[in-house]
Amino acid sequence: MRGTPSLLPWLLRRLATLACCLLGVTFAVFAIFEYAPVDRAAIAVARQQADGNFPDQQARDRALQQLRRSPGQVGSSTEPLPQRYLQWLGSALPCWPARPDPATQRAWQRLAAALPRSLLLATLALGLALAVGVLAGTRLAFASGKPGERAASGLLLWLAAMPEFLLGSLAIFWLGPARLGLLPGAGLASPGAEAWPWPLRWLDLLAHLLLPVLVLASGPLVLIVRFLRDSLPRSAAAPFARQWRALGVGEDFLRARLLRNAAAPLATLAGSLLPMLVGGSILVENLFALDGMGHLALTAVLELDRPLAMAILLVSASASLLALLLSDLMHRWLDPRVRLLS
Amino acid sequence: MKSRPRLGVAGAWLLAVALIGLLAPLLANDLPLCARVSGRWSFPAFAALVGRPAPSPDERSWKQWWASLPRGSADLALMPPWPHGPLATAIERQGEGPTFLHPFGSDAAGRDQVARLVHGARPVVLLGGGAVLLGGCFGCLLGALAGLYRGWLDWCLLRLLEIVHALPLLLLLLVGGAFLGESALVLLLVMALLFWSSFARVVRGELLALAEQDYVATARGLGVGGWRLLVAHLLPQLRGQIAITAAFCFASAVLAEAALSFLGLGPGAATGSWGAMLRQGMHALHGGPWHLWLFPAAAIVLTAMACHAVADRCRSGLRE
Repeated sequence: MRGTPSLLPWLLRRLATLACCLLGVTFAVFAIFEYAPVDRAAIAVARQQADGNFPDQQARDRALQQLRRSPGQVGSSTEPLPQRYLQWLGSALPCWPARPDPATQRAWQRLAAALPRSLLLATLALGLALAVGVLAGTRLAFASGKPGERAASGLLLWLAAMPEFLLGSLAIFWLGPARLGLLPGAGLASPGAEAWPWPLRWLDLLAHLLLPVLVLASGPLVLIVRFLRDSLPRSAAAPFARQWRALGVGEDFLRARLLRNAAAPLATLAGSLLPMLVGGSILVENLFALDGMGHLALTAVLELDRPLAMAILLVSASASLLALLLSDLMHRWLDPRVRLLS
Repeated sequence: MKSRPRLGVAGAWLLAVALIGLLAPLLANDLPLCARVSGRWSFPAFAALVGRPAPSPDERSWKQWWASLPRGSADLALMPPWPHGPLATAIERQGEGPTFLHPFGSDAAGRDQVARLVHGARPVVLLGGGAVLLGGCFGCLLGALAGLYRGWLDWCLLRLLEIVHALPLLLLLLVGGAFLGESALVLLLVMALLFWSSFARVVRGELLALAEQDYVATARGLGVGGWRLLVAHLLPQLRGQIAITAAFCFASAVLAEAALSFLGLGPGAATGSWGAMLRQGMHALHGGPWHLWLFPAAAIVLTAMACHAVADRCRSGLRE
């Protein structure tokens, strides 16, 4: 169409910015870990002591001296920083010529195995949060003054303040095998489920996924409902809405159009929810014993596995930036003004 | 003229939590506030407040000294309002439920829960408040500079905001705490690193609109410097928005500290913060005493709810 700026230059610019941001965040994280003025040997020994590895103080001192004498064991190295950074970054790309060290390779393999489950959980949680959030948000936005509104607002406030691990623990306790026995409390499949016919297997998977997805979706749900509750009444007071009402347009039709207007900023909001999903998945996966990226993050932290921790940070940062780019693309598609004015 | 939003119960709760957190050793302790032993005054609770070792009358504890004091002696001791300490174990009260003397019950080692709750507010308030203050100062400054003097500074700040936003708080706290040492300072710095972006984004957004106003151009024409313009004229108008952001960030800090302690990491485990109490109490969830997890959970949830309620009220007050 003549006059409409094309998509490709904008996309290329955004991709270049994304690459800059990604390099920036990875370099910052890498440099902080390499150059932080902390005593790595003391930290490693403190962690081993907390695990109960040392029978007495002398064993601990001996281990400390040994780690101090050989800095390579705690991850310090003598090569210059840019070279180390490029090596580490290259280990993430499958086509890099230099072979990464076995610890890094193992880290990427574990991450690749755990990522699909986390993606499934996050996608389902975001979808549920969007679906329920849009419905509840539109009801709440236009319900001011009605009897249930204060109760609903109070419930929203409570859900926003409730920590995910508490919600999950209470849900497991009340709905799980300990009390009501309605839903399973852990894992992705019941024992012996591989032998079942596939409809039962799918139902079993659904039953196992219901609670984790609900708990994970609670954070994004609150943000979406709050956003709709704040923005929809404001757009309902716009001049075009008043004109439509004066012309006799039905309230439902009007609300559907207002929601269509709010879809563009909602897409941007949804794209920025990924870091919240990553943080929530750490708690949810550990609570429900699902082997995803969050569970792997806690394992990396408990075992002081530096390559794994950095790999997880890299993946979550790139996923968040990619989600922001996708949401900007959606916003551009949904809101013609952004296309025409840029 | 915009009226001040009435903060009500939520604001009162937050104020109470802040005071309790800051003054915990003076409110619930088994050390006296002030005592006169053989004519010499000492202030053990105040010494505990600043982190010094608390003086004791002799080799005995204060309770034993008080019990063995003869009648009519000139020695006296003024106890804090709640005369039980968070570390005083009493085996006979192990796991007891709420009673009249100990309204929140006792934990598995017989320690009084009220005192533990009061002292558990301290790490939460210091960590959250410190992170919000540090992040707020930096964020407001950088956002203001980017909003006033646009150009490459603004572009750099926007990219920096994108970068910081891409990092999840809990993951960074976990990884930072594990590899940089589990001290409160590291956690505070990591939280401040993630909070400054919220403040910067809000201040920059508001200043982009405010900087177009006539009085700003007039002030600049009159030779008012950028710093004075910011501090005296522009930033005071953003009080409401900054307060809203601060409330949300404090709520995030409280919940993040609870999550970290629940996973067993972080310094809260040693200092007995609310999250650590919740972790101990969650073991009791399956058929154990209910008072062990309900009270710390209620403290965490009520504090976060109060933060969100204050932010909502400020926001509706701003909109009018």
